[in-house]
Amino acid sequence: METAARQIVAFGGGGFSMESGNPLLDDYVLGLTGASRPRVCFLPSASGDADHYIVRFYRAFPAGRCEASHISLFRREQGPADLRAHLLSQDLIYVGGGSVLSLLGVWGAHGIDEILREAWEAGVILCGLSAGSLCWFAEAVTGFHGAPRRVEGLGLLPFSNCVHYEAGSSRRRAYADFLRDGMRPGYAAEDGAALHFVGEELSRIVASRPNARGYRLDLVGDRVVEMRIATTWLGDPASTPVVPLPEAMSTAVAA
Amino acid sequence: MTISRILALGGHDFTSRPPDRAVCELLLKLATERAGARPRICLLPTASGDTSEQIARFYSAFGERPCEPSDLSLFRLGRRPMALRDHLIEQDLIYVGGGSLLNLLAVWEAHDIGAMLGIAWRQGVVLAGQSAGAMCWFEAGITKSSGKPLSAPGMGLLGGSLCVHYNNEPERRAAYLDAVAGGMPGGYGLDDYAGLLWEGTGAPSAVTARRGARAYRVTSGQEGVTEAPLPARFLPAPAPATLREDIVEFRRLSQMRKRAGWLG
Repeated sequence: METAARQIVAFGGGGFSMESGNPLLDDYVLGLTGASRPRVCFLPSASGDADHYIVRFYRAFPAGRCEASHISLFRREQGPADLRAHLLSQDLIYVGGGSVLSLLGVWGAHGIDEILREAWEAGVILCGLSAGSLCWFAEAVTGFHGAPRRVEGLGLLPFSNCVHYEAGSSRRRAYADFLRDGMRPGYAAEDGAALHFVGEELSRIVASRPNARGYRLDLVGDRVVEMRIATTWLGDPASTPVVPLPEAMSTAVAA
Repeated sequence: MTISRILALGGHDFTSRPPDRAVCELLLKLATERAGARPRICLLPTASGDTSEQIARFYSAFGERPCEPSDLSLFRLGRRPMALRDHLIEQDLIYVGGGSLLNLLAVWEAHDIGAMLGIAWRQGVVLAGQSAGAMCWFEAGITKSSGKPLSAPGMGLLGGSLCVHYNNEPERRAAYLDAVAGGMPGGYGLDDYAGLLWEGTGAPSAVTARRGARAYRVTSGQEGVTEAPLPARFLPAPAPATLREDIVEFRRLSQMRKRAGWLG
């Protein structure tokens, strides 16, 4: 029996939240669904379900392109009554930025964490930026306020994650320190770069800007090794817009 | 000696209508009693998701009163970092706004706010709030955080349970009576504009800012669940706030500047 691939696209930063006028990452995740009019649900929980953010989502995902909806966990009396049925019926679930600590707290209170795992296993594509990237990993570096700190995410991906991984940022230094203190190895992405996982494996890194990069970080002895991973700029006319799934990749290698 | 105080309100808003003004006057009085003068009053709008609307209404109520209002918005810390614990402990009154009780407690748990509030309370900082911001202090409440009214646990600083909007939301009241009959600890029902004030360890005293708004003691016994209205002290509304002369003058000058196109 054929089962849909489990896919997560974790943006270091970007998409409609951060890159007004540059829809490359949002187009990429919509394209992954393979649907002509994909069902997309926005989860703005990390922002406290901020109205202006929800409005921006609907502007970026208009009815002509997709069937957009959102779930506001602060206003459950509106919106779908059966969260599980609604989320499982989507092609794409898009998680907004904000406070990852608050996000995980609110999700736990409404049982969203379990539903998202189920959706992922059923082939619903999960994506998000910033807090909406960190949440999918076993461990993450949050720098939402104050000094960067470690936080445990949902653990769908058995790695650590750091977003907004810009040169000279405090997150970058903190991530290296955490790795030396025993945080599991993982992936970092700069603004505009997105880590695309198929199953639990990194499939490729795509970017909405020519110079946005993604990295793999490991601890070797007591030294943190940062390896830059080749990135596909989605604005390049030569880039392949469609994801190579593992089957396709192995075929390509064999050939 | 430090007295721990909590003011639980069944429901109100921060408008300029008389009952809302009466509630604000009580909040200001409790805060001033602790501070001596010019108290610090902090809004926790967590249950609403830190909506601009709730924050703006709070400032419109306290901005021009003799106090130092602030807000601690956990979803907005990214743009405005704050030392959470230090800020909460140095308040005279912490006011918790309404919204989702489930989300309120979950977000507080994620940021360890509950423990900080417990410390503040024991140090004499007055804790207050309406709706979800009132039920959170009890062992349990009836919340519509998931749509339908359901019982949910609170922080448990106060024993027993609380149900808010008692007169306005019959389905919430019915769910409360069912829950108490089914074994949830008894407690209190509060109409909009009714409140209960705990000072120290004794029984609470009831207050009301609107004629007819009541506080009820809800208990489960041999004859089932009973609701007994409590005698309440009426809170008169103060005269509408008149602007201080210097503020009026400042506004007049600002307007002139704008009209004349002056800078600064």
